[in-house]
Amino acid sequence: MAENENSKSRFFAVGRAFAVVLAATFMFSVPGTAHAADSENSIIVSVQNQANNKGVSEKKPVVGVKISVTSPSGVSVGEGVTDISGLATIAVPAKDDYVVTLDVASLPSGVTLVEGTKTIVNIAKDSFTTNAKRVTFFAGSAGESGASLTDRIAQRLVDGVRLGLIIAICSVGLSLIFGTTGLTNFAHGEMVTFGGMMAFWFNVLLGIPLLIAAPIVIALGGVLGLAMNGFIFKKLRKRGIGLISQLVVSVGLSIMLRNMYLYQFGGRTRPLDDFSLQVAKHFGPVSITIRDLSTTIISFIVLLAVAGYLQRSRTGKAIRAVSDNPSLASSTGIDTQKIIRIVWFAGGALAAMGGLFRGLDEQVGFEMGSGLIFLMFAGITLGGLGSAYGALVGGFLVGLLVELASLVVPAELKNAPALLILIIVLVVRPQGILGRKQRVG
Amino acid sequence: MDIIKILENTIAAFFGIDAAYFALAAIGLNIQFGYTGLLNFGQSAFMACGAYGLGMTSQYFGVGMWWGILIGLALVVILGLLVGIPTLRLRADYLAIVTIATAEIVRLIVRSVRFKQYFGGSDGINSFSTSFRNLSPFDPGAQYGIRPFQYSGYSLWTMIVGWSLVIIFSLLVYMLMKSPWGRVVKAIREDEDAVRSLGKNVYSYKMQSLIIGGVVGMFSGMIFALDRGSVQPDNYSRDVTFYVLTALVLGGVAKVRGSVIGPMMFWGLYVFSDNFLRELTKDKPFSIFGVGIIQKAQVGPVNYMLIGLGLMLLMTFRPQGVFGSKEEMALDGR
Repeated sequence: MAENENSKSRFFAVGRAFAVVLAATFMFSVPGTAHAADSENSIIVSVQNQANNKGVSEKKPVVGVKISVTSPSGVSVGEGVTDISGLATIAVPAKDDYVVTLDVASLPSGVTLVEGTKTIVNIAKDSFTTNAKRVTFFAGSAGESGASLTDRIAQRLVDGVRLGLIIAICSVGLSLIFGTTGLTNFAHGEMVTFGGMMAFWFNVLLGIPLLIAAPIVIALGGVLGLAMNGFIFKKLRKRGIGLISQLVVSVGLSIMLRNMYLYQFGGRTRPLDDFSLQVAKHFGPVSITIRDLSTTIISFIVLLAVAGYLQRSRTGKAIRAVSDNPSLASSTGIDTQKIIRIVWFAGGALAAMGGLFRGLDEQVGFEMGSGLIFLMFAGITLGGLGSAYGALVGGFLVGLLVELASLVVPAELKNAPALLILIIVLVVRPQGILGRKQRVG
Repeated sequence: MDIIKILENTIAAFFGIDAAYFALAAIGLNIQFGYTGLLNFGQSAFMACGAYGLGMTSQYFGVGMWWGILIGLALVVILGLLVGIPTLRLRADYLAIVTIATAEIVRLIVRSVRFKQYFGGSDGINSFSTSFRNLSPFDPGAQYGIRPFQYSGYSLWTMIVGWSLVIIFSLLVYMLMKSPWGRVVKAIREDEDAVRSLGKNVYSYKMQSLIIGGVVGMFSGMIFALDRGSVQPDNYSRDVTFYVLTALVLGGVAKVRGSVIGPMMFWGLYVFSDNFLRELTKDKPFSIFGVGIIQKAQVGPVNYMLIGLGLMLLMTFRPQGVFGSKEEMALDGR
C-alpha cells in the first residue's frame, strides 16, 4: 500500500488532540469512594432484591439483613447489617479465607432468597483481587415464570433489537478498518469503553447534562480513533510491519487501555447520572423504558444514515472502493490515506456512541467494551469481514440471537451461541452473508 | 525502601513456579505460533483442559491423579478438533478470533451455575492434589533451601516437577523441530502453498501442531492447578494467553530457549515492577509535584498497563525478542 506523507500540521493537530484526551483521562481522577474503600481489607456484602416485572429486573437493595463473617474454623471475624443501599461493609484483618453467612431470619418479611442461592459463601484468599471483596446475595423471585412463552419471546425480541443495534454501531468501524487496512483491531472494544468512560466523566463528574455531552463524547471517540491510527497503526504500516504483528500490537494496546481504565475508574460498574432512574412502560406484552426506546430509535436512524452515506456520498463510495481493493482504488486516484483516516475517525466516533448507549443500557465499567468485542467479531464475520453493510446486518443479527438464546440457555451462557454461530459460519460460508467470495485460507 | 528484598523476590521469580508454568504454556504456543504460524489465542483453554481434567478426577470420577492426564488429553484433542476443523483452512486472523472465542466459551461454561455440579462454578475445584502431595519426597511443612530460594516442601516438589517438565518438553520440541516433521511445519509458516504443491497435507500438519502445542499447554495448566491446590475458572481468562504470548515474544519466537527464558524474564520483570511499585506506595500514594499518580490499589493495573505497552513496543521495535531471528518472523496474514 503506497503511503503518501500528508501535511505535518495535520499530524500535529492529531497529536495535540491525543494529548488532551490522555491528560483528561489521567488528571481527573474519580473522587469520593473510588479508592477509599480499597485502602483497608474488607468484605462488602450486597443484598439485592430482583423484583421481577415481566422480565425487566429492577434491582432493589434490601435493608437490615444481618451478615456475619467467620474464619473457616468458625471464629467470628465481624458482623454487619445492610444499609439503605443494601450494602454491609465488614472490615477483615487480612486477605484470607473467610466464610460469609447471611442470617435468613433477618430478611424482611415477604423477601426470600433466589432459589439455589446459598446463605453461606466461602471466600478464598486468592479471590481478593482488590482489598475489598464483594459478595452479592440475590433475593426475590428470579426468572420469568409468570409470563407466557409468546410474551417472553416478544420481550426478548425487543431487547435483542436494542442490543443488536448497539453491536452494529460498535462494529461498523471494526469492519471498515479491517477492510481498508487489513488490521484485525482487538483494541476496538476499548474504543467502546472510551465512550462510556467519557460519558461518565462529563455527566457524573463534571455534571454536564448528557444531551449536551453526547456530541462531545462522540467527537472525542473519533479523535481517539485518529490518534490510534496516526500514532500507532499508520507508523506500523509505514515500517512495513506485517498484519499479524499489527494484530498482536492491537492486543497489547487493548491490555494497556483496559488497565488504564481500571487504574482511573476502579473495578466497579457505575451508572450515569442522567436517565438512570426510569420506570419501564408497558406496550402489550413488552416493557421498555423511554430511555431504551429512544436509544434504540436513535441507533436505528444512525445506522440508516451510515448505510446511506456509504451508498450515496462520494466519500462513502470511496470507502467501499478502498475496502474492496486498496491498490486498485489507489490507482484510480482515491487518496487511500485520507480514506483510512476518515474510517478511523468514523469508527471511533461510532464506537464511542455505542459505548455511551451501552453505558445507559447497562452501566459504565472498565470491561464494558472488551465484553462486547467477541460479539462484534461474531457479527462482522457473520456479515462478511471487511464489508460495510455486513457489519450492520451481522451485528444486528448477533445481538438478536444473544437475547433470544437466553430463552433456552441460562443467562450466564447467552453469549455462547453467538460464538458458536461464528464457528458455524466459518465452516459453512467463510465469506459471511454479504462478503465477497475470496481466498480466505 | 527495601531494595534487597525487591531484588531477592525478583531473582526468586526467575526460577519460580509461575515462570515454570508460563514456560510450559509458551513452549506449547511456540509450536503453534512460532514454528507453524498458527495464531492460537486460546492457549488458556488448553491450560484449563489440563487443570479441569485433573480436578475432575478425584472430585467426580473417584479415580487417581494419573487418569487426570488421560482426561486432559481427551479434552485437548476434542478442543483442538473443535477449533481446528473450521479455522485451519482459513487465514491466520480467523484462527485468532475463533480460538479466543472458544476459550471464552470454555471459561463461561466452567464457571456457570448450570454446570456447577461438574466444574464447581466460580468456586472451582479444590480437593484433588492429595495424591500428588503424597508422592512428594519432601516434608510439606518444612522449609528447604536458603533465601531467596526458600520453599516449603510442597512448593519445592511442584517446582521440581514443573521445571523437569519444562526441560523434557524443551528437548522434545528441539528434536521435533530438527525432524522432518519440524521442517514441514516451518515450511508451512513460510509458504503454505509451496508445501501444498509438494504434496503435503498442510491441514493435517497444522492440526497436529495445534494439538501438540495444546498438550504442552495442558501440562502447564496442571502444574498451575497443583501448585495452587485449586482450579479456578478465572485463572484461565484470555489475558493469560496474552501474557504468555508477551513472554514468548520477549524471549524470541521460534526458538526453544526463547520460550523458556522469555517467561523467566517476564516474571522477573513483573515481580520487580510489582514489588517496586508496592514499596513505593506502601505508606503514601506515589506523587509527583503533589499530584497523586499511583495509589496502593492502582499498582495492579499499572503493572498490566506496562505489560500491554511492553508487548506493543516489542512487536514494533524488536519482534524477534532476545533470542529470535528476524528471518523467522515472516508474519503476514494477507
